[in-house]
Amino acid sequence: MKVTLDRDRCQGHGRCYVLAPTVFESDDDGYGFTIDEDVSAESETAAHKGANNCPEDAILITESTT
Amino acid sequence: MTDAAEDEPEIDLDGPPQPMYKFLRDNMPVMAVDHELMNGTSVALHDDVMTVLRNPDLFSSNGAAEIGQIRPLIPLEIDPPDHSKYRKLLDPLFSPRRVAELDGPARELVNNLIDEVIDDGSCNFHDKIAEPFPTTVFLRMLGLPVERVHEFIDLKDGIIRPPATNSAERVEMVKVTGAKIYAVLQEAIDERLEDRQDDFISQFLDAEVDGHRLTSDDVLDIGFLFFLAGLDTVTASLDCMFAHLAQNPEQRQRLVDTPDDIPAAIEEMLRWESPVAGLVRVATEDTELSGCPIPKGETVMVNVGSANTDERFWDDPETVDFDREINKHIAFGGGVHRCLGSHLARLELRVCIEEWHRRVPTYELKPGLTPRYTMGLRNVDNLELVW
Repeated sequence: MKVTLDRDRCQGHGRCYVLAPTVFESDDDGYGFTIDEDVSAESETAAHKGANNCPEDAILITESTT
Repeated sequence: MTDAAEDEPEIDLDGPPQPMYKFLRDNMPVMAVDHELMNGTSVALHDDVMTVLRNPDLFSSNGAAEIGQIRPLIPLEIDPPDHSKYRKLLDPLFSPRRVAELDGPARELVNNLIDEVIDDGSCNFHDKIAEPFPTTVFLRMLGLPVERVHEFIDLKDGIIRPPATNSAERVEMVKVTGAKIYAVLQEAIDERLEDRQDDFISQFLDAEVDGHRLTSDDVLDIGFLFFLAGLDTVTASLDCMFAHLAQNPEQRQRLVDTPDDIPAAIEEMLRWESPVAGLVRVATEDTELSGCPIPKGETVMVNVGSANTDERFWDDPETVDFDREINKHIAFGGGVHRCLGSHLARLELRVCIEEWHRRVPTYELKPGLTPRYTMGLRNVDNLELVW
């Protein structure tokens, strides 16, 4: 699974890195970024949680086909 | 635009606003309002609200609200691209990491306030906790004298809830009050120019944007916005949340039994209550929303509370569900002007709810009491709790 965070859409609500700290992190200004775009199996639920709670729809999850 | 429907239900303007939001969405999703105190187009659907908030070029916040200011407030009334320069300066001061440093002092403060009432078995929660707690936190941060808190609360109320009967009177009243707020801030700025302290005003005086020092007027324009935003919004949020919990004993008990659920409960109550119920923008060009024409210069009032309860967007929006899986609420707005203080607000809400429920686990509304909500910024002045 891949997760991308669109930094242009992100407005720093801070939901992703609070709810899914294994997948997202905060920069010094409080805006989010992904720690690693490739999400480990155990962090998949967390990645979805982050995406489901982003008010700006800035997080995109792509399920890998392999 | 839709005319007022004839089957308009009896809606209690002081009561919970969610039924009115639903009525607006179903009957007048985009509505021209021509009222003595309010003039513009109100927008109730989630999709339209997001369109407005995410297009600051078309829906500007510059000059959208007359709240006693003499120059655009920074950063709220600054449009992109200059907006981001100021946010770059201010965002780090309000990042979750930075505001976490306030956890200890905020906890001590709220416990002192609880100490004052806990043996009484009852209190007006608005007066004793919801108003003094966030106000004191904020005055300390900004660098204004905490001992003048009541004077500042009156000034803030003079802008947000002026006792005016028409628009012209309102503008006149807020202008007079606004001048007093500028004077208070100027006094603090002048003192800090001589003698820097550990507070925001001092930091702003040394801050640079685009390689230029902020001017004294810039600091004033930031301070004016902070004064209004910092002195009312968390109060309204605490009022709404404690009114909700006092009337929903199972949810109250859940927070007592599992304090780890408090952050999720706060998010869901922010969605349902939307304590800052509306935001304003002004159209910079002729445009349309949901097929309704919006002329250039029109004030657009976005109904955040309605967007947060719109069944076209949310699953089961009428249920206050602390386990909600998908919660993209916009209680702090959205787009570039997302509430700068949102992380501070969340910290204050969490600290207050944690400490109160630890020490006063069982409480309810005073028997016979009906909470009365103010419009716009939803305070509950009569929030009498008993325990």
